[in-house]
Amino acid sequence: MKIVVCIKQVPATNDAKIDPETKRIIRKGIKAILNPFDTYAVEEGVQLRDKFGGEVIVLSMGPPKAEASLREAISVGIDRAILLSDRAFGGSDTWATSYALAKAIEKIGDVDLVICGKQAIDGDTAQVGPGIAAHLDWLQATYVMAVEEISTSSIRVKRMHEDGYDICEMSLPAVITVVKDINTPRVPSLKGRLASNKFEIPVWKPDDIGADTSKIGLDGSPTRVVKAQPPPPRHTNTKKIEGSSIECAQSLLRELRLRSIV
Amino acid sequence: MIAFTDAERKEYRNIWVVAEILAGEIQPVTHELTGAARILANLRKSEVWVVVMGSGIEGKPESLFAYGADVVIVVDNPGFSGFVDETEAKIMKRLIVKYKPEVVICGATTRGRALIPRVSVMTHCGLTADCTGLSIDPENGDLLQTRPAFGGNIMATIRCSNHRPQMATIRPRVMKSPEPDPGRTGRIIKEEMLTSDSEKIKQIIDVFHSTETAYNLADAQIIISGGRGMKGPEGFNLLKQFAQRVGGAAVGASRAAVDSGWIPYAHQVGQTGQTVQTKVYIACGISGQIQHLVGMQSCDLIIAIDKNPDTPMMQIADIAVVGDLFEIIPEIVKGITNL
Amino acid sequence: MIHHIQNKIYHVEVLPPKQDSEKLEKDLERFSNKYLRVMDSGYCACITDNAMGLLSFQGTEIIEELDLPVIPEQVMIHLNTFHTKDDLDNILNICKTKGIRYLLIITGDGSERLPKLHPSDVGTTDVESVTSVELLRYINREYPDTFVLGVAFNPYEPEEHEFEKMERKIKAGATFIITQPLIERNEIVDRLLKKYPKIPVIVEAWMSRKLHLLSEAVGYEIPENTEFDPISTLKMLHKLYPGCGVYLSLLGFKTQYDLIKDTWV
Repeated sequence: MKIVVCIKQVPATNDAKIDPETKRIIRKGIKAILNPFDTYAVEEGVQLRDKFGGEVIVLSMGPPKAEASLREAISVGIDRAILLSDRAFGGSDTWATSYALAKAIEKIGDVDLVICGKQAIDGDTAQVGPGIAAHLDWLQATYVMAVEEISTSSIRVKRMHEDGYDICEMSLPAVITVVKDINTPRVPSLKGRLASNKFEIPVWKPDDIGADTSKIGLDGSPTRVVKAQPPPPRHTNTKKIEGSSIECAQSLLRELRLRSIV
Repeated sequence: MIAFTDAERKEYRNIWVVAEILAGEIQPVTHELTGAARILANLRKSEVWVVVMGSGIEGKPESLFAYGADVVIVVDNPGFSGFVDETEAKIMKRLIVKYKPEVVICGATTRGRALIPRVSVMTHCGLTADCTGLSIDPENGDLLQTRPAFGGNIMATIRCSNHRPQMATIRPRVMKSPEPDPGRTGRIIKEEMLTSDSEKIKQIIDVFHSTETAYNLADAQIIISGGRGMKGPEGFNLLKQFAQRVGGAAVGASRAAVDSGWIPYAHQVGQTGQTVQTKVYIACGISGQIQHLVGMQSCDLIIAIDKNPDTPMMQIADIAVVGDLFEIIPEIVKGITNL
Repeated sequence: MIHHIQNKIYHVEVLPPKQDSEKLEKDLERFSNKYLRVMDSGYCACITDNAMGLLSFQGTEIIEELDLPVIPEQVMIHLNTFHTKDDLDNILNICKTKGIRYLLIITGDGSERLPKLHPSDVGTTDVESVTSVELLRYINREYPDTFVLGVAFNPYEPEEHEFEKMERKIKAGATFIITQPLIERNEIVDRLLKKYPKIPVIVEAWMSRKLHLLSEAVGYEIPENTEFDPISTLKMLHKLYPGCGVYLSLLGFKTQYDLIKDTWV
């Protein structure tokens, strides 16, 4: 069983602070982290490999410093890592990104299963997983909350929906994207982390994966961001209620009754 | 990348909505998006078409005319009783190639987010997910898609100039559903599922409908939400009491409270949790980080209770109550009981 | 623990390297040096557990990997509720094997990257979320007579709530208490001492000059350039709380370490 887990290194957007004057994000000093949703994909890859044997490889497209996230994946038990990195990949939207990752997966060869996290916390699109499946023309299952069975030829998964779940079975090779319910990602151990520092991580460029240069990077991206600005402030005429706790409670209660909320 | 020429672009007309069907019923998000599509179609002087792929939906697609649809493409087949993304994607591609829509929008639901990215790659189109706004560029007619990015700290505007159709997904309850106009009419186009659509696909083995797996924040009229200021799981017991007293209220939480293990993830409101658009949102001890605000800022009435009067949440609130919530909330609960 | 107080043994906090450290080998070396220095001085090394939810390596795994010596009276491990059951049992077993007896049991701060104990993991079904109380009970049940368990007390949180929690912690098996940083006499700590005269209490002393960093802890804004002398504050704390032990956080190993041996008189 050969499994590829696609990961992304992202800025820690949850820690982002806004400059009160310019209202723009202070990008300086924001840490780069392994996309939190991808830790579940990595964990699932490691668990499946442990249960069924085979090899699990982690793949990422990003700048050279994305290597740190690949090492983090290795430190929890991934067998090997590959970094797709080149100026030509820069500015890719999800179409171009999923194309490049799909080409890399083809190059790795004989892959049975691709696992992605649900979405990346910087782009938040959740498009790359299904995009990879489409480029490869493989079956896909998104919002996977459990892998119930897997064999050399098929996989059975539980997919989460707003109104419940379904169980579906599909032949391999296939792409799945996973949600947080699927497992509890292990925290890297010191032993694993020290060992990961010794791994060699090859860097692949467009030529290495036979990528059509018109389909990668900015040129390969059908979408363009034309503007980025701070979000508009909500209309504010805030009514302030102060005083003793009893006074506050009574005032608020009055407001709630006036509006027929209670 | 091979871009369309002006002439090629002009061949693409009309605003399409891909309907969300659950258990044979058209979902509210479809009405919301049809309303949004109507506004765009008026600007583009074109039509709104809704694509309905479902099983046993006889008679239901016609209801969409009242929401602004001019045409409804109906693909009615028992094969749709389970959600098979690959089949729906193949059909969508065929329909897009045949009818050449200018814009395709779909609900950013679990199904929409599985289907549309696949379609966008197959048709070589640009797709913007989770849009909060759609407009038309008056200069060239391009669709302008606005969405939060970078954890909600930025509003990005995205354009797809060179490819058609332009695609977008929108979360339920972001657009407002229009008032249905029963006088409106339209036409139905019947399309078929071909055998090739259902070759080499996944098998749906079991389907389970439940209101339990997803905590029903979305349907609550009132959400009482707690953050770091609740100080622990016992604080959330207080909020549950409050919610119980106020009929029809659900309990929500900020990411900080969920990460601290005080309340399960199903209650989380915000960028990595649920987006809610309720009538009343009562934020207790929530500072109002932007990642939380993007999940609830379009609620009709926002009330905040906090010791600190200067938090972002207190500033955007319609009513800001400054005080100790551990004293105020029990008093409110008492007050409601005595009404 | 009484023995630590009677013999004027300082509790020195030593922070483990963070998981995202870009110079891990160097950080491990620095940790090792600090730890060994504390052992040599006869003080007690206190190692934190993902403090503030920032992913760090565990004290127990560092001690094992680097083969650091354990003097049972001189090591204290913090332990919070943000672990898987397997990890928790692993840490407790290593402590038991190595003779580490002192554990500070806290609920802790979570983060997106940290797992959390489920109530069923610690053998209880009647709570929604695992706190230090449930963890105390679990350890006492599974490892009877093995550890000396302490808990935290926060005089800056709502008073009655904090005392009610303390009562539950003590009933669950806590035998010593460590407070949040004190910078002056604190009435609520005085009340704590009066209420539990037989339980050893250790007050935390903030050894950094940057007092404003405590603003969030104490709940009021301390201006950034406030003058603060940690050493004289430490001496004052000894005078105000002669029956208490002292926990030193953010101790400067280069500049302050040698000064403290003359402060506990």
